[in-house]
Amino acid sequence: MSTTNVETGKGTKDTEHLKKIDFKMISFTLAGRDYGIDILKVKEIRKAGNFTKVPNTPVFVRGVDNLRGDIIPIIDLRTMFNLPAETKDPASLENIVIIRLDALILGIVVDTIEKVVGISHETIQPPHPIFGDINIQYINGVVENEGRLYIILDVDRIFGDSEPVPTAVASASVNDEGDVPLTASAPAAATGSLPLDLQFVAETLAAFGQFHLSPVNQDWVTKRLGEWKSLREAKGLDFQLTLKEEAQEFLAPFASRHTGQVWAAASVAELSEILKFDGSQIAVWNPGCGRGYESYSLALLLQTRFSKFSYKIWASDHDLLNISTAPALVLDEDSIDLEWKEFTVQSKNGLQFSTDLKGHVLFEFHDVNHTNPMPEIQLAVLRDLLSYLKVSDQEKLISELSEKLKPGGYLILGDNEKLQNSEWKDVSSAGWSVYQKLESVTDARGVN
Amino acid sequence: MRVEYINPFVEAAYNVLTEVLATDVKRGNLFLKSATKPVMGVAAIVGLAGEVEGRVLFDMSKSTAVKIASVMNMEELTEIDDLVKATISELANMITAQAVTKLHELGFKFDLTPPALITGDNMEISDQEVEALIVPMESPHGNIEINVAVRERS
Repeated sequence: MSTTNVETGKGTKDTEHLKKIDFKMISFTLAGRDYGIDILKVKEIRKAGNFTKVPNTPVFVRGVDNLRGDIIPIIDLRTMFNLPAETKDPASLENIVIIRLDALILGIVVDTIEKVVGISHETIQPPHPIFGDINIQYINGVVENEGRLYIILDVDRIFGDSEPVPTAVASASVNDEGDVPLTASAPAAATGSLPLDLQFVAETLAAFGQFHLSPVNQDWVTKRLGEWKSLREAKGLDFQLTLKEEAQEFLAPFASRHTGQVWAAASVAELSEILKFDGSQIAVWNPGCGRGYESYSLALLLQTRFSKFSYKIWASDHDLLNISTAPALVLDEDSIDLEWKEFTVQSKNGLQFSTDLKGHVLFEFHDVNHTNPMPEIQLAVLRDLLSYLKVSDQEKLISELSEKLKPGGYLILGDNEKLQNSEWKDVSSAGWSVYQKLESVTDARGVN
Repeated sequence: MRVEYINPFVEAAYNVLTEVLATDVKRGNLFLKSATKPVMGVAAIVGLAGEVEGRVLFDMSKSTAVKIASVMNMEELTEIDDLVKATISELANMITAQAVTKLHELGFKFDLTPPALITGDNMEISDQEVEALIVPMESPHGNIEINVAVRERS
């Protein structure tokens, strides 16, 4: 067994490398050196010549060309990078790489276009000032492939936003401090703004509790961390979370009121003070409904406090076991508010909500990260859901909500969750985190 | 996917497969999927219409299809011929029809379209707007995946 491993060891390593091709570039030469451009930026390659001169342009602009009806600027990379210009027959056709930036299509003149080179992203080395004749801030990196060294140009930075800056030879800046950190500085700044303690805790919470620190819950986590530290110090323990149980203990107070039970009548009354609806129908979306307590509580809220509306609640959860029990949820008789008694019936399994109330709630087995086919809704209830999604999924869901929710509609988050977004108006009260979608962004400015 | 729809499909698949294959069939764990999915080689599609819209897809490898068709026809078949195709279509029809009957008893009205059979290599199915429930069934003749995507008309 072990001998075969040794024999094939090298071979498998090589194939692994081959398999991992995740970056392709068009390679070309310029004054005898090999360069590459990310293939996703390249629209096409072609031969063209006889460009139309445009007066009063920088020297490296060769003119404009007609690309099947689109007029695109043609830039000579040799001139732009101050490489010695070749004398060419003016009538001959030249090699052009047409690149596509955000809003801009342009052609660059190169010496020869070689081929498409596939490499693994990991093998790209960061640029070093001594590579190439081009200022390193225009270089993505350097990569070796089949014995040749390719300099990968960062076309976004060369041609992007501001007008292209003609750059001189590398000697212009062998200034490590000024140029190199350009790429590294952005992500560092994002996480760097958090205190180190919070970062550690955030990482362990994500690993042990599937809880993701974001602006939605940052205030709570910061506050809880303070409490947690003094609590742990009193016990003579380190505040770091090292066990799943500790993460759960840390998160225990995060749960909103009435989690896993029917809401108390008093809480429902408080919430009904905040909400106001127009029209005759209310559509409610309640993803992450768990075993359905929250969805039925919403039905009770609408049934008792908004009785002149017809309503429908779309509830979903991605836990099959929980959601399967939801349509026939059995209630604990003692924990139900007296006010709700008239909406319950005795069945052979125990106390349940009446068929009439159940008819308003539709339970679905659904993952909120997948497409959410949803009619326009007036109320979205996502208590303690966002915090348990990845930060990017949180943002996606919030933007999806602002699309699906009617103007003036409400979003209810967990008691310890906050939404910081100018498209929403904070109408929270009595401990309920409620946000109202503004009519439109321009209105938002008017209101504020 | 509405909770009430899940069980009828799982039960129907289990009942029909156990009956026609006359052997033990095991149900794998149900899960949800919304991305593009590879198809194993033979796929039978039955469309659903009525109060809902959607489709049920029965996915299996070619060898599984041949083995199942052999058992169902009580003769040894070796390749994907017309008989195998007709048999697999019929199996899809039986399972979906039984599920729809169960759903009808619960008060949901669905209509079926005739099954369509697709065979080939390296196929993928992408329904980007729909989330599908995957019911994996394991039999001694191979695995069958039942991929149900149904949504309410809104």
